[in-house]
Amino acid sequence: MNSLDRLIKEKINRDIQAKTRRHFIKECVAGMGGLALGSMFMGCNSFLGDSDNGKIALTERDINPLASMPPPFPAKVKSVIYLHMAGAPSQLEMFDYKPTLHKLDGQATPQSLLEGKKFAFIRGTPKLLGPQAEFKRHGESGNWVSNFLPHFSKVVDEVAFLKAVNTDQFNHGPAQLFMHTGGPRLGRPSIGSWVTYGLGSENQNLPGFVVLTSGGKTPDAGKSVWGSGFLPSVYQGVQCRSIGDPVLYIEDPKGISRNLKKSTIDAINKINKAEFNEYADPEILARINQYEMAYRMQTAVPEVMNINNEPEYIREMYGVEPGKESFANNCLLARKLVEDGVRFVQLFDWGWDSHGTGHDTSIDLGLRNKCTEIDRPISALLLDLKQRGLLEETLVVWGGEFGRTPMLENREGQKMAYLGRDHHGDAFTMWMAGGGIKKGASWGVTDEIGFSALEGQVSVHDVHATILHLLGFNHEQFTYEFQGRPFRLTDVEGHVIHEILA
Amino acid sequence: MEVIQQLIGRLHPIVVHLPIGFIITALLLQWIDRKENKQEEVIAQVFLWGFIAATIACISGYLLYIGEGYSFDTVKIHLWVGIATALFSGLMYLRVKENSKVEFLQRIPKIILSFSLLFLISMTGHLGGSITHGSDYLLEPLPTSIKIALGFKVNSYEMPKLEEASWEESNFYNQVIQPILNNKCLSCHSPNKSKGDLQLNDAEGILKGGENGDVIIPKDAKNSPLYARLILPQDHEDHMPPKEKTQLSKEEIEVIKAWIETGSSLDKNIGELELKKHLFTSFFRKENTSEYPDVKVEAIPEDTIKAIRKHGFHIEPISESNNLIRVSCINMPSFSDDDIKLLNSVKQQIVYLDLGSTEVTDAIFEHIATFPHLTTLNLSHTNITGKNIEKLAPLEHLRTLNLTHSKFNGEHLSNITSFKHLKNLFLFNSLVKQPESKNEDLPNGLNIDYGNYHLPKIATDTIVF
Repeated sequence: MNSLDRLIKEKINRDIQAKTRRHFIKECVAGMGGLALGSMFMGCNSFLGDSDNGKIALTERDINPLASMPPPFPAKVKSVIYLHMAGAPSQLEMFDYKPTLHKLDGQATPQSLLEGKKFAFIRGTPKLLGPQAEFKRHGESGNWVSNFLPHFSKVVDEVAFLKAVNTDQFNHGPAQLFMHTGGPRLGRPSIGSWVTYGLGSENQNLPGFVVLTSGGKTPDAGKSVWGSGFLPSVYQGVQCRSIGDPVLYIEDPKGISRNLKKSTIDAINKINKAEFNEYADPEILARINQYEMAYRMQTAVPEVMNINNEPEYIREMYGVEPGKESFANNCLLARKLVEDGVRFVQLFDWGWDSHGTGHDTSIDLGLRNKCTEIDRPISALLLDLKQRGLLEETLVVWGGEFGRTPMLENREGQKMAYLGRDHHGDAFTMWMAGGGIKKGASWGVTDEIGFSALEGQVSVHDVHATILHLLGFNHEQFTYEFQGRPFRLTDVEGHVIHEILA
Repeated sequence: MEVIQQLIGRLHPIVVHLPIGFIITALLLQWIDRKENKQEEVIAQVFLWGFIAATIACISGYLLYIGEGYSFDTVKIHLWVGIATALFSGLMYLRVKENSKVEFLQRIPKIILSFSLLFLISMTGHLGGSITHGSDYLLEPLPTSIKIALGFKVNSYEMPKLEEASWEESNFYNQVIQPILNNKCLSCHSPNKSKGDLQLNDAEGILKGGENGDVIIPKDAKNSPLYARLILPQDHEDHMPPKEKTQLSKEEIEVIKAWIETGSSLDKNIGELELKKHLFTSFFRKENTSEYPDVKVEAIPEDTIKAIRKHGFHIEPISESNNLIRVSCINMPSFSDDDIKLLNSVKQQIVYLDLGSTEVTDAIFEHIATFPHLTTLNLSHTNITGKNIEKLAPLEHLRTLNLTHSKFNGEHLSNITSFKHLKNLFLFNSLVKQPESKNEDLPNGLNIDYGNYHLPKIATDTIVF
């Protein structure tokens, strides 16, 4: 479409917006007759496509917006578990081993590195801070993992590292939005929404996109990180809680029995069906379907969200803490949800913002505790998926919204009580595991102090392109028409990272 | 003046239909009137119109040839046959009119003239069509196999293909650049049709450039039309290829840029130019990486899919353009052995069958054995014991078998391990005991996952720093 066409389209849209109901009645007398005529011709179905014994033929999506659809290309995986460490974990204490940084510990950062860089809190000339963890090569792949993650180091051969992921955002909110919606501002759909929009949900009793949070706080960017943006809102993530009712108000109100509930819904649907027979509006069918699904979810969701019926050795492997909101519980739930055909499970764990402002955010103590909290659960998740034959059909993604500086944070230029690192998006580590992923791979190399990428730099868009690729999409062709142009998750960028694909 | 000349020239494709219509009409009338010879006046008149229209077509055609950069070799036969057609319709007019001034004409039998004219008009039309649409246009829709059987040379260019193992040794120009130009540029820039006087079919033509000068400025991609025109907006009139033609992919544009910037060398290979691998990954030959068999099966009618769905099955093609399907009973826990018959009509297409958490029993194997392309079978959380599982042995595409949380017991294991093509067998929480030592006599590549993974407790689990 050239720019003139676009202008004309825009003008038409504007004109339509300016029309009021008065215009409609005044100007459309003849048109109304036409409309009436159209409905009289309904039996011919002249504009509704095929007819099936006089009934209107609707696509399954008209009736059920979550009806599953085939991917454009054969997919490697059918589900995704995305583990997001909100606050941004330090790659320099977990995966990106920098012995030189150790030697340079305490020295002033060379001015050449700081020129043109913006930091969230660092001011003046900060000192370099050596790795606060001990590193070793692990597994057959020989990839580096620190002693903060002793369990994970045993399953390291299952994953493929991206050591030089790059983001241009250095504050949590925008960076989280960028990481999950492909844009740092509000309004765009999250990856999970795109995926459920594109593929639907296999299990008709559960939502297609489930979100679980832990760490005591939800992400800075709010619920927009699992929002549906301009996609229909039915594709947004459903946040489930790991304590109390998994979904708010899922239980029937006091005094309302299951049977009464059923007959209420039946009665409503009967009226809706009569309405549909009269007006043939597919929205009505979608609504009927939503009522029925909500009713089925009332039993299916509490069942899948109950970790107590898991055997003891499984609960022990994950290190679950029943009755609490914990990352371990969420990992076990993620496996259960994927096992039951949920398309996209999104986990957020808060508490990784290791600035060194206190004990909990110190890079040597607080971060280590956070690592201990996730070490067992993520390792257990990978092993548990594997032994059930699910790892081959599931993609597990781990990462934060950015990484952390090789420099010691000096808030307002002052020395701080605890060791900490500032936000840093130039080069940080993420990993993926599961179907279609090259086991034990590592792509991307950072410089001697882990400040910038030397080779294999990938962007957030590249990560998205790769996730969509594994689900059977070409990220450049997977679009949604909005405001007069087709939108993509990867905007106008993104390359599939073939280096970590099997 | 040149504008008018060009305008008239471009009317040629429309004008040509007029003489074709007139001449065919006249010939048909002649056929109908062959016995009675009553309509000669009318027929002669139509031939005259045909002659006039054909002459106009010839003139406009000539102007088109001059204005649009066709080489004479391309158009010469069309041109001569066209002129001959015009002449012949003139002759026909004189012949039918029985004009006494050209007496020798009257001695030629009408039938010979008529057939010659029919032949000429068909030839002209066909040759003209071949010039505008390309000589393979007419038969292009035919399947390649039929074309080969009919003896046509199938003229298709190879897409650039590199081997992952040897991409650095490949010649950049010959193996990457020229194939891209062949595929995306040659329909207009070749000896057949050199628009803008530019031929991109070989190095000589590329270096020579076109009517606007060089297309390559050494090591300066941004100012080299060969690259710069590719990245103009598609609406821009200088954008190449024209909007309606197949566009170059992003990767193709990137390598053309890289080629120009590294000096547009004709003989160096990629390794010598020290180019990054990621530029070329999209040109690597891809093996069939899909786990599903590469077989052609018929598409399942929409009605059949709907009918099967009504029973509660989840059924879906593995991709939009593939007829193979995945079937799952995730929404159908009541599935029992008899229900498998509902899938009889889609036997050929099933590659993925998930019967996990259903009422299925060992009697199912006999049916499943008739799904020839089955690749993945999930029988987890069922009462399967493994009796008769050997019936699945002939399934040559079966790669993954999931028996976790089933009642499968060890005595049938040897039946499975003899499956030649099986790659993954999941036995976690079945009744099979994991052997102490690694099972040696497994067929090549079979991986048995007994599961039961543990993460032993370690001291740091409970330390809080």
